[in-house]
Amino acid sequence: MIYTELFTEFFRIGFFSFGGGHATLPFLYNIAAVKHWYTVRQLADIIAISSVTPGPVGVNAATFAGYSTAGIAGALIATVSVVLPSFIIIIIVSHLLKQFRENKYVQSVIYVIKPVSCGLLAAVGAEMFVNNVNNIFGFALLAALFVTNIYKKRKPAFFLAVSAFAGFAAGFFNLIN
Amino acid sequence: MTIYDIFKTFFKMGIILFGGGFVILPAAQAELAEKKQWLTHEEICEFYALARSVPGIVAPNFSVFAGYKLKKIKGAIAALTGLIMPAFLSIVILAEIFEAVIHMKFVRSMFWGIGIGVVMLIFLSVKEMWENSVTEKLSFALFFAAFVLSACFKVSPSAIILTAAALGIALQLKNESSKANGEETE
Repeated sequence: MIYTELFTEFFRIGFFSFGGGHATLPFLYNIAAVKHWYTVRQLADIIAISSVTPGPVGVNAATFAGYSTAGIAGALIATVSVVLPSFIIIIIVSHLLKQFRENKYVQSVIYVIKPVSCGLLAAVGAEMFVNNVNNIFGFALLAALFVTNIYKKRKPAFFLAVSAFAGFAAGFFNLIN
Repeated sequence: MTIYDIFKTFFKMGIILFGGGFVILPAAQAELAEKKQWLTHEEICEFYALARSVPGIVAPNFSVFAGYKLKKIKGAIAALTGLIMPAFLSIVILAEIFEAVIHMKFVRSMFWGIGIGVVMLIFLSVKEMWENSVTEKLSFALFFAAFVLSACFKVSPSAIILTAAALGIALQLKNESSKANGEETE
């Protein structure tokens, strides 16, 4: 049944994604490949939408996938599933805060998982680079963002606003298809 | 401070959560420490660090830690639902509009641009995670192995994370047994 499938997939994402801003992306790509709830192309749109709407991309993607496969009930189930593992784990951890922090096994697992999660995200970054930066103008835009960031640290919203505007302009002058 | 206050405050933080979860830290410092004075700056930093070292998405994780500290289970539920509510609502509302406008040319152009911006944001996320995790040869090898397994061999991320967790436990077991052996020989 679609509801149970949404629950298990997004519960799994909530349980296995670790670390920084986009840690759920490798899992979301994996879903596109095995579940066909959305295509890679649609996922790129979800990520873009999620970047310009409130909330973490993992939550946004869960809501979107749930909504597009099973309506509002699906959206609710997917969204709750993706944060449920956090909730359960943290309630337990909060009780055992001191033991958790000082446990050598926990420290060792975190020590291994951190660079591994970083590697997973880098793999997604490489894939998105190949998919999204598909012509010379894209490359020029990305290069411009990089150079800007070297001179002054900017907020994510700045990069998104600039790139949305650049995309609009490029489309207006028929520079991209 | 009522449960509703907690919900409302985290809802507000959820609204300004754009483009990646790490924005939660400055938002929490401003709302929870400076404005409401529910938590200290140190507590917020500690919850943020903890939020990154348990499974799950960082911003919701943070909200559960903070909400639980404020009003136990009820506080945690209020904070978590408050935080993810704006994300949920905006996608449900946009999903309808989205279907209607996504094929319009200027929308496609803007999304093309945003797609490039997202690559930049992911690069920044990777950089931030790298600085926090890749410190010497072993962690670099782990980073590299995960990258190759995922990018070249398309191994599922869950399998990679599970293996990593098992490896972490194995490393600690080895560590302890070699320490024990060391003490015996001394």
